[in-house]
Amino acid sequence: MAADNEPESEVFEITDFTTASEWERFISKVEEVLNDWKLIGNSLGKPLEKGIFTSGTWEEKSDEISFADFKFSVTHHYLVQESTDKEGKELLEDVIPQSMQDLLCMNNDFPPRAHCLVRWYGLREFVVIAPAAHSDAVLSESKCNLLLSSVSIALGNTGCQVPLFVQIHHKWRRMYVGECQGPGVRTDFEMVHLRKVPNQYTHLSGLLDIFKSKIGCPLTPLPPVSIAIRFTYVLQDWQQYFWPQQPPDIDALVGGEVGGLEFGKLPFGACEDPISELHLATTWPHLTEGIIVDNDVYSDLDPIQAPHWSVRVRKAENPQCLLGDFVTEFFKICRRKESTDEILGRSAFEEEGKETADITHALSKLTEPASVPIHKLSVSNMVHTAKKKIRKHRGVEESPLNNDVLNTILLFLFPDAVSEKSLDGTASTDNNNPPSESEDYNLYNQFKSAPSDSLTYKLALCLCMINFYHGGLKGVAHLWQEFVLEMRFRWENNFLIPGLASGPPDLRCCLLHQKLQMLNCCIERKKARDEGKKTSASDVTNIYPGDAGKAGDQLVPDNLKETDKEKGEVGKSWDSWSDSEEEFFECLSDTEELKGNGQESGKKGGPKEMASLRPEGRLYQHGKLTLLHNGEPLYIPVTQEPAPMTEDLLEEQSEVLAKLGTSAEGAHLRARMQSACLLSDMESFKAANPGCSLEDFVRWYSPRDYIEEEVIDEKGNVVLKGELSARMKIPSNMWVEAWETAKPIPARRQRRLFDDTREAEKVLHYLAIQKPADLARHLLPCVIHAAVLKVKEEESLENISSVKKIIKQIISHSSKVLHFPNPEDKKLEEIIHQITNVEALIARARSLKAKFGTEKCEQEEEKEDLERFVSCLLEQPEVLVTGAGRGHAGRIIHKLFVNAQRAAAMTPPEEELKRMGSPEERRQNSVSDFPPPAGREFILRTTVPRPAPYSKALPQRMYSVLTKEDFRLAAPQVCPGRQLLPGAGIEANLQEKPTHSRHVEAAGRSPARIQLGCNGNNATKNP
Amino acid sequence: MDEDVLTTLKILIIGESGVGKSSLLLRFTDDTFDPELAATIGVDFKVKTISVDGNKAKLAIWDTAGQERFRTLTPSYYRGAQGVILVYDVTRRDTFVKLDNWLNELETYCTRNDIVNMLVGNKIDKENREVDRNEGLKFARKHSMLFIEASAKTCDGVQCAFEELVEKIIQTPGLWESENQNKGVKLSHREEGQGGGACGGYCSVL
Repeated sequence: MAADNEPESEVFEITDFTTASEWERFISKVEEVLNDWKLIGNSLGKPLEKGIFTSGTWEEKSDEISFADFKFSVTHHYLVQESTDKEGKELLEDVIPQSMQDLLCMNNDFPPRAHCLVRWYGLREFVVIAPAAHSDAVLSESKCNLLLSSVSIALGNTGCQVPLFVQIHHKWRRMYVGECQGPGVRTDFEMVHLRKVPNQYTHLSGLLDIFKSKIGCPLTPLPPVSIAIRFTYVLQDWQQYFWPQQPPDIDALVGGEVGGLEFGKLPFGACEDPISELHLATTWPHLTEGIIVDNDVYSDLDPIQAPHWSVRVRKAENPQCLLGDFVTEFFKICRRKESTDEILGRSAFEEEGKETADITHALSKLTEPASVPIHKLSVSNMVHTAKKKIRKHRGVEESPLNNDVLNTILLFLFPDAVSEKSLDGTASTDNNNPPSESEDYNLYNQFKSAPSDSLTYKLALCLCMINFYHGGLKGVAHLWQEFVLEMRFRWENNFLIPGLASGPPDLRCCLLHQKLQMLNCCIERKKARDEGKKTSASDVTNIYPGDAGKAGDQLVPDNLKETDKEKGEVGKSWDSWSDSEEEFFECLSDTEELKGNGQESGKKGGPKEMASLRPEGRLYQHGKLTLLHNGEPLYIPVTQEPAPMTEDLLEEQSEVLAKLGTSAEGAHLRARMQSACLLSDMESFKAANPGCSLEDFVRWYSPRDYIEEEVIDEKGNVVLKGELSARMKIPSNMWVEAWETAKPIPARRQRRLFDDTREAEKVLHYLAIQKPADLARHLLPCVIHAAVLKVKEEESLENISSVKKIIKQIISHSSKVLHFPNPEDKKLEEIIHQITNVEALIARARSLKAKFGTEKCEQEEEKEDLERFVSCLLEQPEVLVTGAGRGHAGRIIHKLFVNAQRAAAMTPPEEELKRMGSPEERRQNSVSDFPPPAGREFILRTTVPRPAPYSKALPQRMYSVLTKEDFRLAAPQVCPGRQLLPGAGIEANLQEKPTHSRHVEAAGRSPARIQLGCNGNNATKNP
Repeated sequence: MDEDVLTTLKILIIGESGVGKSSLLLRFTDDTFDPELAATIGVDFKVKTISVDGNKAKLAIWDTAGQERFRTLTPSYYRGAQGVILVYDVTRRDTFVKLDNWLNELETYCTRNDIVNMLVGNKIDKENREVDRNEGLKFARKHSMLFIEASAKTCDGVQCAFEELVEKIIQTPGLWESENQNKGVKLSHREEGQGGGACGGYCSVL
């Protein structure tokens, strides 16, 4: 076909695969996979080190193949070993495969955590073919045999020496049969699985009988059989007096009593014992047949006497943890859609809504110069007013939070409300939190939350607490409503909000925190202005253009122009960029000066009269600089602070600026928009330095733009000659332009750059429209922050190194997630889940410490050992007990079992003592120290030649496990056999193929004899 | 045009007044030099799309005023920036000495810590150099920044500076993806119960 252009003489040999059966195709696919994974040939690795199955890394590779339309997954499991050179992977002749050698290796008996095939056969590498779908199973015997034949053929064809297993029966039975082929040797991995242990095989001697008959060794006497035994005991019933450690605060909290409440704290701990079971494995790692007796009437296998003890703990799955629940419940609020109004019934914010909707109205009311009565603030007063409002709206309905709780919370949030000192005093001291430089304190930076001593943070904790214990969502909505009322109250009455760092909003914190800081800035300015007004009211009343104030907040240019015209020569283009609010920026410090000058300069102004003006608004003298024209000292003026910004405002502003585009006009416009600050500074400067010039201003403002050069004048003296930089001299550049427009007006009488009234109203409105869900989203970083701190704190009491590491990971993970504006729910959930896990881990550590009584331990050394033991239990799957039953930890474990046994037998301890007779008697009559072992494992091994005495001696092994409802014998049958030649006829193979296993369903009937071995029916060709 | 743009990066140019920040930017965006460029007021803004290693990135570059008084305002623009270009004038030592202040400010106001910083020594065309190249290098190394000397006037190093910066940002994982798929920390080294195949724990006995 492909040979159209080939010469005629070419001999064609066509291999026809078109009629290949499904089975043949399946086999070739298996071979293909084995080839792909390079599992061909034999390479001997290093002998297995002690415990490498646990400490090493296991990896797996998977592929999918199908037999007709039945899908199988092929998985290669292997222990990652230090790369034995790939080059060294040459075919070793006449060496029995690794897996057969490993059968005898005793270094990894009873691995604590391993694939069952590893446990049964001590393999370091194997391939499993199992039905891909979890529910699928290969049930019929003929199908099993067909599969196994495929395996056999594939192994023979490829020369792969890795054991290949097929999983048969239902998956839960973990039935595997398999095969391994090597040069001149073959192993059939066979298995018996029964539900009930036949009586004669419940002990070592019975198992030895099976083993011996199975290997069928022709030699007498038999070579010695080496035996490894492990009995596992389970302790479930922890005596009550070993676990009294309920989290101490839970009852108090659940009770919902205000007395037991401590807001600002998070609960911690598991509500149930996070450790459910203790498994004690007693191991006799190396016995020889005959040393020990274990038959149906007597046993030497006393757990106390076992040379090795190891312990593992079973952890309760997802124990209920307080902190985790707390945070999770709070997170759930994020998904609620309801608004505060909907939750609280009728519109509680109705009045609020009206006020905020009509800002103009609010403005005129607030900006009226009438002094606001400052009365002492008290919580009861606050609550009273709040209650009154709410009652008015909600009628007779009960409010979700009772008064006591609400009072406690408000006191906690606003401690200044009860202080005897005047309000502003307390507030300001509160603001001066010593900026702690500790790593913990600065965590808010990473979480984008808020400092742990801030109002925002406390609010988050309170809402969390209320959500959990006091009224859930309704409570949250109620507290938030109260909080917003309080904010308005503070704004209206000039009370600073406590618990917020002063200064502009900290962009490293969450938006809500920034908003509160913004509100505080507004209050601060308003307060300063109001106080300034009060002190100077008599002098400057005429300067305050009351009419302009009433004109309100509208950004109507026409309106502005009018006022501008009235006021004189102010360039309108300049003014339109600054805030339109016709109120003056004012500082307390200015008020005295104001008295003298206000009236005068209010009427005058303009560049020409500058020199004759009295200087105003000076801050301090600028070094030794003097004015260039008249030699007067140069003063730095009092200037307006730039407007504080929250991140959303900033975003808005930069968006506006960016929208102007990159053209020259755009850039010009942009500069204009931002020049209000420059203009204001120029005006202040002019006012402070009568007779000054732009050069003077530049020397203060942008010193590098005033270039001084040493020039030698006509007389030969070196004189400093200065001039403006080239860029400042560009005709009609914005600096010059602004300078010409600027009038000598001190900062306090300039138009406000920052309109606190408007900004405050904006913030209050923003707060009022936040739904509980929005609120929860705002505050979630704070809650996560608090939870991490709590976990950290609890960990420091226990000192668990692994937890330390996880906490670090959580912090770095959260900082990545929380810095995005709208973190995904999934990621947030993950963080919360991690925190819960850490909590459970710590709770487990506590539980174990309590159980093993590390605190009660008196000897320092023993205590240290015990602590180490406990921390190992947490981190390792299985921990060796030093000294087994005679060691310190061993004695404690023994006692735990004894106590549990007594409790189970309902025998009071005293009676027990009385009955104590000889050990024999005690053994029979009274309760034994240990319960019957929950599991018994035996590994029997030997090396024998078979089938003939002159055959090659090969390793033999049998693993058996006996539990209450499970009996399993796993015995690889190693026998010499000729290696199948690659490509040998399938037919031939099949005929030689014995049945590989026989699975006995023992339900109901008890087989007289379990037969293992290769004498069975031949495989059927056609299943 | 925006379709094949990989990402939009926010870049900030800071430094003392008169070191040539706006000139550098103008050279980069418009490839011109204006000796009479007015002093920037507040912040200015320019956009340019460049291609680095076949990746197109749109740069939104914020140029800031260097004057002390404007500085109270500029920190807010640090927010969300992925790259910062810190400029000094090689002919004026004082602009170099002040770099520490700028770095402090960066540290205080930057919302993220993996932001890429670049140090640019400008005006190397001038003859009266006061800051040696090695000093710049040393400073940059000390603070783990990119470093280049440039001249907005002669065009030396300008394009290169921006390209390097963008390349570095793109190479920094998690810095620019809008949706960074960070895999969470795994708490247990092996998940329990890996399904049907492997059996975790002590499954054979109990």
